[in-house]
This record gives sequence, C-alpha cells and structure tokens, in this order.
Amino acid sequence: MTFPTSSKGVLGQFAVPDEALVAAQKTHAAGYTHFDMLTPFPVHGMDDAMGLKRSWVPYLTAVLAFFGIVAAQAMMLYIMVYDWPMNFGGKPAFAWPAFIPITFELMVLFAAIGTAIIAVWAGKRDTVPQPPPMLIKTGATRDKFVVWISATDPKFNPANTLAFVQSLGAHGVKLVDEKGDAHA
Amino acid sequence: MTTPSPYSTVMDDAALTGRPIVLTGQGPFGGDREVDEPLVTGAKKYLDVDQDICVHTEQFPTRRWWIAFTIALAFLGMLGVALATLFYVGMGIVAPNSPVGWGTFIVNFVFWIGIGHAGTLISAVLFLFRQKWRTAINRSAEAMTLFAVACAGIFPLIHLGRIWFAYWLVPIPNGRGPLWVNFNSALAWDIFAISTYGLVSLTFWYVGLLPDLATVRDRATHPWRKALYNALSLGWTGSNRAWRHYEAAYLILAALATPLVFSVHTIVSFDFATSVMPGWHATIFPPYFVIGAIFSGFAMVITLMTIMRWVFKLKNYITLNHMEAMAKVIMLTGMLVGFAYITEFFMAWYSGSAWEGFIFRNRVFGPYGWAYAIMFGCNAIVPQVFWFKALRRNPWVLFIVSILVNIGMWFERYVIVVTSLYRDFLPSSWGEFNLTRFDWMILLGSFGLFFTLFLLFVRVLPAIAVSEVKGVMDPSVAQGAQK
Repeated sequence: MTFPTSSKGVLGQFAVPDEALVAAQKTHAAGYTHFDMLTPFPVHGMDDAMGLKRSWVPYLTAVLAFFGIVAAQAMMLYIMVYDWPMNFGGKPAFAWPAFIPITFELMVLFAAIGTAIIAVWAGKRDTVPQPPPMLIKTGATRDKFVVWISATDPKFNPANTLAFVQSLGAHGVKLVDEKGDAHA
Repeated sequence: MTTPSPYSTVMDDAALTGRPIVLTGQGPFGGDREVDEPLVTGAKKYLDVDQDICVHTEQFPTRRWWIAFTIALAFLGMLGVALATLFYVGMGIVAPNSPVGWGTFIVNFVFWIGIGHAGTLISAVLFLFRQKWRTAINRSAEAMTLFAVACAGIFPLIHLGRIWFAYWLVPIPNGRGPLWVNFNSALAWDIFAISTYGLVSLTFWYVGLLPDLATVRDRATHPWRKALYNALSLGWTGSNRAWRHYEAAYLILAALATPLVFSVHTIVSFDFATSVMPGWHATIFPPYFVIGAIFSGFAMVITLMTIMRWVFKLKNYITLNHMEAMAKVIMLTGMLVGFAYITEFFMAWYSGSAWEGFIFRNRVFGPYGWAYAIMFGCNAIVPQVFWFKALRRNPWVLFIVSILVNIGMWFERYVIVVTSLYRDFLPSSWGEFNLTRFDWMILLGSFGLFFTLFLLFVRVLPAIAVSEVKGVMDPSVAQGAQK
C-alpha cells in the first residue's frame, strides 16, 4: 500500500499498551485505513488489532540468500575452473566441498544486509504519512502509545475524527497540521 | 487490576533473590502463584529508562570516564608505536619465526575473534530462545563484538609481514597473472568468514539502534543534535507499520547470525584442523573452538558489565540476576571446554599415533607445561566456584573469575599454537618461542584499541537497548503520568 503525503492528522496518547491495543481495534473497526499506532516498543498483538498481515520481508530474504549462493558458486567456478585452474595432486578443479564455507558466508552476507535494507525501506513505504518527528513530540519513542489518523484517510473529517479519538479514551488529543516532510 | 504489581516494591539488588516471587493466594483456585523477578528494579518508569541510559550521551563525561579513556588511549598509542616500528623494521622484531611461524599474532587473532562471539550469542541466540534478560546487555555485547572483530582483524594483516599487499587477500580482478586466492584454502575461507561476520554484526547492531536513536533525538534540545540523531535514526517515529517489518527483519537477522557465529569459529578452527600437525589435526576442533569462544566472550561481557553498571550507575538494569545468568553460562561452557581438553588427551592415546601422544605429553610435562597449567586451571577448574549460588551472586567473585577466564583462554590459544609447532616431526628443527617486547606492546595495545572504542561508544550511543528494556517492563509500574 502506498499513501499520499501529508503531515496533517489527529493524534491521541495512551499510557499503557493494552489501552492502545483496544484503540487500534476500534479504529480499525470504525473503518479508518490511513491510521497508525506509534509505540516505544513493538506491542504484542498490535498487527492483528490494526488488521495488518504478516510482513513480506522474509520472502525476499529467501530470494537474497539464493542469490548469494549463486553468486558465490559462480565466482569460484569461474576463478578455480575456467580462469586459472590449478592442479592439486590431480584432483578435480571443481572442488565443490571446499567451496561450501564461502558459499555459506556469502549467502548469509547477502541475505542479512539485504534484509536490513529492505526492512527499513519497507517500513517507510508501508507507513501512513507520519507526524513529522522533527516538529511534533508525540512521545511515542519515550513513554506514550499514540494513535494517529492521517488526514489522507477517506473518512477523515477534522471535527468527527477528533471526537472519535476522544471517544477512545485517549489523552492529549490534538489536530496536527504542520508543514514538514511527512515521510521524514 | 486491583492488586498492585509485585514488581513495584523490588527496589535494588538487595531485594533480588534469584528465585521466583511467590504470590500467596493469588493463583488459580486460591493457591499460590509464582512470577519471575523483575528484569528492571527500582520501580522505574519508561521515562526513567530514557533518563538513566541516554543521559550519558548528553552530558560532559565524568572524571571516571576520563581516567579510563586516558589509560586506554595510552595503550592505543603503544599499539601505534609498536606497529609503526614493525612496519619500518620488519618481522624480525617480533617472536614469530621458525619453527613457530604462527606465534603471538595468530594467538591474538583467535583470542579476539572468540571474545566477539559472545556478543552475537547474546543478541541472536538468546533472542531466538526468548531469553528476556538479554535486553539489558545485548547492545553493549554487540558493540563488544564489533570492536573485538576490529582488534582481531589487525593480526592476520600484520602477520602477512608486508601489510601493503593485504589487498591480495581478496579475489579482485587484477593484472597479476591473473592471480587469484586459492579457494581450497582454509585461510581464504577465513577472509570471507571474518568480513561477513564483521559486516553482519554491524548491520544487526545498527538495526537494533534505530528506535533508540529516535529516543535520543526526541530528548535532544539543540537543533543540530536533533537533526544528527534524526538522520542516524532514519526518521524513526515508532510506527507500528514500520515495527511490523522491523520485527520480521530482526528475527531473520538473529536466525542468520546464529549459524554465522558457529560457522566463523568453525572456519577459524579449520585453519588448524585442516593441517596435518599433531595437536591440530582433530575433528573435535570446530565445537571445541566455538565453545571456547562463547566461554571467553561471556567472561569479557561480565568484566565490561561489572565496570559499566558501576561507572554509569546501571545496577537497576543490569541486575545481580543478569550477572548470575551469565555466571551460569560461564560454568556450563567452562565444563564443556574442560571436557574438550580431556577428550583431546583420550584421542591422542586412543589414536595410537606416536606423534600425537608425544605432543600431548609434551604440552603438560614439557617446557611449556606452565602455560598448560594456567590454561587448565583458569578454564576448567576456576569456574567450578559457580556451583555455589552465593558466589554466583558476588560481583567481586564474578569480576575476578571473568578476568582469570580470559587469561586462561589467551593461554589456551598459546598452548594450541606454540606447543604444536615448537617441537615438530624433526628434532633437529626444534626451537623455542619467547615473546619479545614488541609482542607484548601489540597484545596490550590491542586492549587499548578495544577499550578506546568501547568508551567512545558508551559516550555517544545508548549503551543499553532502551526500547527493548521498555518492552520487558511491567506497564502497570512503568506507565507515565496521564495528562
């Protein structure tokens, strides 16, 4: 899912994860789609409460791992068999058991670094427009569990959404409308 | 909740017993209920965690920090002087020479790589086993891994003798023949293993840092500091849509780092095991090296954590229960290492090989028997003190044992490298191996590099994983005020 950019929306804070879970369920049930829960640590069960599916990142890890295996085997096959074959006591140039350690290492290298880069990128791409972190102190990296409904949501209406978030029992409910990089 | 959380009254180490808390009459059907003791003591709030951990990155360092940093920097300077002399004069000034061509440099290399392994074990293996106590120590243990790998990386390079040809170690297209590395060699595997290990550890560490860098950003008051930490945190907001991918990736990284850490020391052991030297040519080497690495690494973590919890007043986060858990790992791995020592002797006898038998008799009763005695005493016997709970929970005992274990583990590698080489098949080529003053300067200097990097790390980055610690706290105790 890709979202249009905007840094306008409504946020409300909760003090404990359980309240935030209930709020996420209610917001999802109310039909909001461009909403997010900002939390200081990953809250168990939040994906289900928000109606999110499992991350697709691990599938790409498998692809990257396979790519690492192919790259390592191709490199050693080219160097040891085609470009510069050496004779070790008449043994075959394609000494595949000796190639396994490096194949394993390159598989891990490609898979691990690729997964990290893709996960960070995916975390940006699949996120609704966020309250700009340089301008708004949501408290979500510190001690608050924040519900955030972006103004890009089709159901968004400043007065109604504000009233909805208040009805969830949130504290510090406010309308955010800052000029800033919404994906920063 | 009507009953207050049992965690709200556990204030410090003195209140911890290392046993579950029994809640009388709160279990099902009116029975008792047992809960684990809290991982964070002192009835801390979420904001207290931010304050206690991030404050060290925000204020001018304490006098204790400056004293430690000055000493570390002096040792780093000594490393610089020794290496400059080594490059200028040549390999004649250090001990490695015929017959012990693999002297101190390979000993130090294996030692430092081993230290690094505990960091990955704590961050990856304990994560997969859902050991929540790892949250207090994983950040600094991972940093320890990175700096230990940096120290280890020096030694194979200077062991080349002509360090300006170090780029010949990597298979890059070239006009020298073409001249490639030999992929059938364990030493070429090592290059890939160590560089992969360094890069993956760095990635794992940085991914873990992202949420905490955002916390430091949100505490910052100076706009430049805010902008810097915002850039470093890659604009982290705490979005659950980002956490979803982040958590999947973190699990994957742990699952990849776990076999990686075993493969790295396995490949390091292949450097020895694929040779035909008596004392090296043994199938026990991979597990023996991996266990030894975890053993020495955990000892180094205990050394560092004992100092860190005192200097930075982190006793509420790195509690005695954490230290006791590490002591248990030390005792287990110490016994496994001791078992490996005895197995080696059994195999030397059972193999019926005269050379193998000679090497092992010579290790214990020969001129380097003192090194073997230090190794066996420090690694197999000293950790037995941890059978006693009182000693596992005594910080002084832990600190002293952890240092003895690291001395023992350095001598383990010394015994393996030196005593297999100094008397080989041909008695006319037998020799001796004595460390020169430059060997000592490089060994001690590498500790200077390690501690300089570690002290800088605790100064600029959160030394405990703030977001992970918050995740294992009881929200009913830790929640902030509602306004």
